[in-house]
Amino acid sequence: MIRIPIANTIQLQRIALRQSYLFALLLLIIAVAVNAALQPDFFRPGVLSDNLQSFLPLMLLAAGQTIVIIGGGVDLSVGAIVSLVDVVVVRAMGNSPSASQVLLAIALGLASGVLAGVVNGICVAYLRFQPIVTTFASSFVFSGTALLVMSSPGGNVPPSLVDAYQANLLGLPVVLWVIAAVLVLWNFLRSTRYGRYLYAVGGQSMSAYVTGVPVSLVRLSTYMLSGLMAALTAVALVMSTNTGDPLIGAPMTLESIVAVVLGGTRLRGGQGGVAGSLIGVIILSLILNIISFANVPTWWQTLVNALIVLLALTGPGIVALVRRKLS
Amino acid sequence: MEISLAAQHLVKRYDAVVALLDGNLDVQSGEVLALVGANGSGKSTLSKIITGVVAPDEGQLLLDGQKVRFSSPQAARKNGIVEVYQELSLVPDMTVAENIWLAHEPLAWSKIVRNREIRARTGDLLDLFAGTTQPSLRPDALVSTLPPDEKQIVEILKVLSLQPKIMILDEATASLDSRQVNRLFELIEQRKAQGMAVVFISHRMEEIFRVADRVTVLRSGNTVGTAPLDQISQQELVSMMIETEVVSRYIKQHEEAKSSPVRLSIEQMRTPVLRGVSLSLREGELLGLGGLRGQGQTDILLALFGAMPFEGKVTLSGRSVHFTHPRQAIREGIAFVPGDRGSEGLLPVRSILENLQLPSWRRYGLLLRLTKARKDATTIARRLNLVMESLNAPVTSLSGGNAQKVVLGKWLLREPKVLLLDDPTKGVDVGTKGEFYKLLSELREAGTSIILYSSEDEELLGLCDRVIVLHDGQVQAELADTTLTRSELVAASMGTAHGGAA
Repeated sequence: MIRIPIANTIQLQRIALRQSYLFALLLLIIAVAVNAALQPDFFRPGVLSDNLQSFLPLMLLAAGQTIVIIGGGVDLSVGAIVSLVDVVVVRAMGNSPSASQVLLAIALGLASGVLAGVVNGICVAYLRFQPIVTTFASSFVFSGTALLVMSSPGGNVPPSLVDAYQANLLGLPVVLWVIAAVLVLWNFLRSTRYGRYLYAVGGQSMSAYVTGVPVSLVRLSTYMLSGLMAALTAVALVMSTNTGDPLIGAPMTLESIVAVVLGGTRLRGGQGGVAGSLIGVIILSLILNIISFANVPTWWQTLVNALIVLLALTGPGIVALVRRKLS
Repeated sequence: MEISLAAQHLVKRYDAVVALLDGNLDVQSGEVLALVGANGSGKSTLSKIITGVVAPDEGQLLLDGQKVRFSSPQAARKNGIVEVYQELSLVPDMTVAENIWLAHEPLAWSKIVRNREIRARTGDLLDLFAGTTQPSLRPDALVSTLPPDEKQIVEILKVLSLQPKIMILDEATASLDSRQVNRLFELIEQRKAQGMAVVFISHRMEEIFRVADRVTVLRSGNTVGTAPLDQISQQELVSMMIETEVVSRYIKQHEEAKSSPVRLSIEQMRTPVLRGVSLSLREGELLGLGGLRGQGQTDILLALFGAMPFEGKVTLSGRSVHFTHPRQAIREGIAFVPGDRGSEGLLPVRSILENLQLPSWRRYGLLLRLTKARKDATTIARRLNLVMESLNAPVTSLSGGNAQKVVLGKWLLREPKVLLLDDPTKGVDVGTKGEFYKLLSELREAGTSIILYSSEDEELLGLCDRVIVLHDGQVQAELADTTLTRSELVAASMGTAHGGAA
């Protein structure tokens, strides 16, 4: 008689830990409802597609951030990497580039993103620096370099790139296909041995180490993936903004972490998933939409972002404290 | 799968401390070798060298007659040598199945982990312990939700899933109940018949005689002998573990303490480790807590100090008390000297003065009377015989022994009624130890009651008026006067009622 509830609690805990998207889904429904109320044409395909286009860069960034956080770290330099890659790509394309030049510029951008990730990863995984301090410091290196490459917004982007970003493929927007691809790739990744390593390293790195998991390599790989995703984010931004901007990524670091948190990934690692973070991006963007509809100063957006992170950080501690006091 | 492993003349030093002086053992397919020794005899070091966790300074390992050197646990594992850890190697937020197969998951051609196969094979492994575990122990259960015994079983199954040739069990039965131990021993018998070799490290005499074929005895870092277990008695085994029966007293027994009033008594103290411990402590008495490491000695000290929740009754100077915070315990005159002075006993970058005065600042007013504080600290430093540059020097500039004297010294200003010592001389040089002992003796003469846990049997025998030996969270024996001997202490640590090699 007693055993059935025990099994159920375990199952519930399992669901809560694994499928941590439930809370995110609930928030999503609320945010959509409020948005739809404020913006009557919210569900028109054109508006939906526009919204998706503006969400995509942060989605890519949050996907990378999720992997770092699951692996037990955090990457505070993603925004700076976005800025850096953004200007690198635009600078490398120059004026009226050929198709091969465009591809070359994008490849160069992706390579610099991965390289930035390697720098972070080596410092954290092999030199054992604190992730927060390391990536905070390296973010200044990356954003400084970005300003060196291009000191003010500018540059031309071929119209074909902009068109490609807004195009439809098989009747659905290209951005939607990209989102689907991210999800498919993530699900593949987490089903491989690498996926198990990732969760093990973030969950209990010492246990993972004595079990034979290459802990340092896994850590390095998370920062590389994060760098790559930041670079892809920059490419998406170049295509959607039509220009280069050395400061464009600055606000995105905090937003990416907020999205991860909203998506149910625990900040201390070992748990969570990319799908939740993508939902998190949508929720966050919709909340920010609501704020802008409310006609209040824009710094409210930063305040809301920060409050969400603070709540996520302190929430479990407060709950535990209250529980201790009550018992 | 025939295999043989021999360790020959292994030496391991940690700075000046020699953990292993001459470690030898050999084990072959189809046998269980028990490895026994008193505290600090080098058992763990020897097993860590075999499993590649630490590298030996000298000596060699022979695997099937070939010289080998394992640079990491993975290298040892590749050669089929695997150790069962005590809950150290599980990831709490992963399931039982994921934990067992971590890093050797069966993969499909697409590199995707075969989840169905993992679950099925985990189910088969769990069936090995069927009937001795809760039905909630299933492949999909999260490890963090399991009780300690089931976590230990998962550790064992994780090792078995690797199909080891040599399995090392280091105190792996500590958290298992008797049915689970029986099942484990059946499994060992079975695997032994299939050619596995097992090294069994345990502090339970009864288990050693039940499961092992031979025993290798370590004594102060040396392998002193190997014998088949059917040709040796428990008494003989205990006497092999003891160097000499002669005990050197560091300080005299405190005769007055035998008749002085009781200052502190504990009745039926329970923590996750302690299973109902009762003891009493007289004024001016030095009571030792003995037994192998991790039998709950530290729990008693922490619980008395209000730093660990417990059940049971504590009476201090005739009053019933139950501290839930160290501040309360300090107010009632209890002082605690932790074993890990680096993280618990000292403020590393601060000065010696600050460290000495930390618990006593409230005596010096709101605007601190620093001159007086400095004068008092100087007195204490002189009494402690501190070797230091000045009181302003950072405490990290002191040697290990002198730093530990500061940890003790900071309580002297408060004249504690009860002093709790948690392995206080760990890593302290011999000269400083002597001074430390003298200080304890002085405190005791002044009426302070002391409870000392030490991982060194020498200290317990040489310092204490009385020693309580813990085994499996319970009081195994109380030793005093004529029974305060080395063989009694070792025998009680191993869980036998009466040891005694004459």
